[in-house]
Amino acid sequence: MSKKRAATKHGAGLGIGQMLGRLARQREYGMLALLALTVAAVQSINHSFLAAGNLSDMLVQCAPAAIVACGMTFIIVMGEIDISVGSMMGLLAAVVGVLVSKHHYGMSVDLSVLLTLLLGGCLGFINGLLVTVGRVPSIIVTLGMLTVLRGVTEMVLGGEWVTDLPHGLRFLGTGSLAGVPICLIVAAVVAVASIVVATQTPLGRRIYAVGSNPDAARIAGLHETRLKTLVFTLTGFLVAVATVVSVPQLSVIESGIGSGFELLVVTCVVVGGTSIKGGKGTIVGSLLGVLLLGTVRTDLIFLRLGEMSTYWERAIQGAFILAAVLVDHLVRRRGTVEAEA
Amino acid sequence: MGRQRLQSFPYWHEVILAAMLAALLVFARSVAPEFLYPGTQAEMSTHIWELALLALPMTLIIITGGIDLSVGSTMAMCAVVLGLSYQAGISPWVGALLAVLTGAAAGAANGVFVARVRVHPLIVTLATLAAYRGVAEGISLAKPVSGFPAGFTVLGLGSVAGVPIPGLIFAVALLAAAVVLGKTTTGRSIYAIGHNELASRFSGISVDRIKLALYTLSGTAAGMAAAVFVARRNTAKADIGQGMELDVITAVVLGGTSIYGGRGRIVGTLLGVLLIHETREFVSWQWSRDELILIVVGALLIVSVLLNTVLSPRRR
Amino acid sequence: MVVRSMMRVGVASLVLVALVCSGCGKKTQTGSSASVGTPAKSGKQFTICLLPKKKGLPYFTSCASGAEQAAKELGDVNLIYDGPTDGSPEKAASMIEKWTLKGVDVIAVSPNDPNVLAPAMRAARQKGIHVITWDADAPTDAREYFVNQATAKQIGYGLVDAVAKDIGGAQPTGKVAIITATLTAANQNEWIRYIKEHLKDYPGLTLVATKPSNEDQKLAFQVALDLMKAYPDLKGIFAISSVAFPGAAEAVKQSEKAGKVFVTGLSTPNDMRDYVKDGTVRSVVLWNTVDLGYLTISTAEALASGTLKPHATTIKAGRLGEKRIVGDNILLGDVLVFNKENIDKYRF
Repeated sequence: MSKKRAATKHGAGLGIGQMLGRLARQREYGMLALLALTVAAVQSINHSFLAAGNLSDMLVQCAPAAIVACGMTFIIVMGEIDISVGSMMGLLAAVVGVLVSKHHYGMSVDLSVLLTLLLGGCLGFINGLLVTVGRVPSIIVTLGMLTVLRGVTEMVLGGEWVTDLPHGLRFLGTGSLAGVPICLIVAAVVAVASIVVATQTPLGRRIYAVGSNPDAARIAGLHETRLKTLVFTLTGFLVAVATVVSVPQLSVIESGIGSGFELLVVTCVVVGGTSIKGGKGTIVGSLLGVLLLGTVRTDLIFLRLGEMSTYWERAIQGAFILAAVLVDHLVRRRGTVEAEA
Repeated sequence: MGRQRLQSFPYWHEVILAAMLAALLVFARSVAPEFLYPGTQAEMSTHIWELALLALPMTLIIITGGIDLSVGSTMAMCAVVLGLSYQAGISPWVGALLAVLTGAAAGAANGVFVARVRVHPLIVTLATLAAYRGVAEGISLAKPVSGFPAGFTVLGLGSVAGVPIPGLIFAVALLAAAVVLGKTTTGRSIYAIGHNELASRFSGISVDRIKLALYTLSGTAAGMAAAVFVARRNTAKADIGQGMELDVITAVVLGGTSIYGGRGRIVGTLLGVLLIHETREFVSWQWSRDELILIVVGALLIVSVLLNTVLSPRRR
Repeated sequence: MVVRSMMRVGVASLVLVALVCSGCGKKTQTGSSASVGTPAKSGKQFTICLLPKKKGLPYFTSCASGAEQAAKELGDVNLIYDGPTDGSPEKAASMIEKWTLKGVDVIAVSPNDPNVLAPAMRAARQKGIHVITWDADAPTDAREYFVNQATAKQIGYGLVDAVAKDIGGAQPTGKVAIITATLTAANQNEWIRYIKEHLKDYPGLTLVATKPSNEDQKLAFQVALDLMKAYPDLKGIFAISSVAFPGAAEAVKQSEKAGKVFVTGLSTPNDMRDYVKDGTVRSVVLWNTVDLGYLTISTAEALASGTLKPHATTIKAGRLGEKRIVGDNILLGDVLVFNKENIDKYRF
């Protein structure tokens, strides 16, 4: 009632205050605010936080999660999940290392990277196939894959690490083009492409349609099987991309790579506003989630909380996630209630 | 007609599991008979009690369409409480009680978020997975506590008439779970919630109360598992139970419980736990390659659910 | 129809994955239950189980290669090398229990958490199985001998001396930090104790942080980067795990702080060679891991065959010659420091 009065008072359809309020409730802006707040807080305590080198390093750290989060967003929007991405990354890292190393196959960097990308796509495809045609729930498929691939990685590496990575491969991880690290360029390309697909293309609309109402989508003639398989294959491919631009940052490829990565990515996507039930979620939100969660550890180091803080790091991370989830939930509920008024 | 009868036989999954188990044991007998000696089996069983204990409430939770990813972290938190209280001079048995209570509180917290605040259980327990583990690391300063007296470690290591004590605890819990799920109205309500939560609410089933109870139960089981673990391994520290939640879910789903909810049986979970246990132990016994175990267990999970699809094509 | 063509692609993917992975798999796996060596004249084979902290770490793989050498030379050893791929002490304890049930002859353990493994080790000894430790120790009643590469004090002091020398000056000053494995790793905590102790002898050096890297090289890399940025006047880093060291060195290299921040730690010469050659790292502290594995198996075989009697003061260990026994410690020798001059002599 009072809102209507405000509306007529201003003459336009909506009062400015109301519009700002609605904007504030938009998930992404809330997250942006939280991110800005965190950065400001840390910067005020330790002034070297926002130094150019540090910013670049933090973004580089977030790059692999950002790349995979794009694919994961599509998967979760469709009502599925993929918790095998960490083990996939481990296996793909081992494969690219073994292919390129002179002790084993000594292939050229280009060929090795190509094969790795292809392998990533295949792994994703197998996941998708098992989910759609095999009708195995995605959490089961990817849970099984997570275990299997970890074992296969150990077998591929056979108890040794790959230490003779050629310069060409290392360049993907450490090099830059026009001053921007390669992994950031790739992450930006993937992000922009994903945003475009999600918001502007019919494919994106179909993905969201299947996610929000699978039965209606089926009746409307959308191929759930094809779409889901595509999305899983895409994610597998993206994991390979993330592997190839982030793993060569280090000079050694070892067997523990990617451990726990799936948890990080899923948490980022969920905290970013993608609903686990499907149908809702944005790439931008997921990317903001990556930025928020990916920098917690750095934040803690910069806050210089002393020796004790090491032990409470994970608790703080967990509390952060809990808070983000709660805030989102409460805001969303209030939002829907008001919208109905 | 006969085919329809065959397809509507409700215990297919359990039969397949039993068959796989039997096949494994027959193979084991021909290749390594010592594996099957009762003494060997009893000793090896000590590895599985925590998982088995946790699988029971997890089954109930998954039947309602929920999930609990925080059991491993809850276990760690409870173990740390036990350890610290022992360090402070409290009797380890009282400490064990404190551990169980901590677990119950942790589970209740999960339950409140799921049932009252109505956040999706995957999200809640994903957050508490990190939070509880963090709390465990924080309050223990990552230092382990050991040196528990023999009077206490008997909880994990002792046996009565050849049956390990944790096994007795599990047997009691198993019976209770089977009776509740199969014979009581609460059990029927649990299935109903899994089939259609909205309808259940409208039918007057106290969905929130049941969910809260189930998650509290899961936390309590984690506390008990923590006490058993600490007694067995004589150590209370913050990094135990890592990955436990995935193992438990694997066992429960292997046992035929549908991840979508509405379907599942305690006997299935029991078979699932047994199959995973015997598979892991046998692969370790015969080939002694840790990486092989991972591959076999993962494949087992996928294949078993795949088989389910093949045999009951119309069900989802 | 779509389904059928997808299935075909799916099968093709599976085949590709299988080909790549099986092809990538190492041709020569460090032997598991395969028998190594031909039976000796007497025909008695001793089953010796070598249990590392974490299977898959090159540090332990190199120890295992030394162990295989010894097994082959001795001829009466059936060597089983297995351990938890995730380093979990609980899994290791389960393995010890399994071997106890199987009734092996000797179990050689490198315990990641001695408190967790001790009960299983004691139970094994009760069944008459010889139990020794190597690389890291356990309570003395849980094992007969400890094959020791170097004392924790030597290692801790050696690390501090290396960093102090690198920083230079009569009274080295600066901030230092430690990057360890996991916060509960027993070996590392021992070394940290001695590092802190010896740091008191250098009043100019202050320890500002101890951070875990959880055996994750990427994490060690990021933690090192963050530490250098949070403390711009950081002078030294102790990266005391074979996984953390290359990660920290890479961080120093990429931030172009070689020569300003001195990182030292424990890792294999192979993994650190490039960093030593290009000057990022001045000294690498370790010992001869191949010899450690060799000595462990020699000791185990000597125990099993009765050659090693109680109260012996030396043990003959094949190509290593005579090794001293001090109490119940069998000493490999001294800590080795690898630097630019000598690192090419070692290939492990």
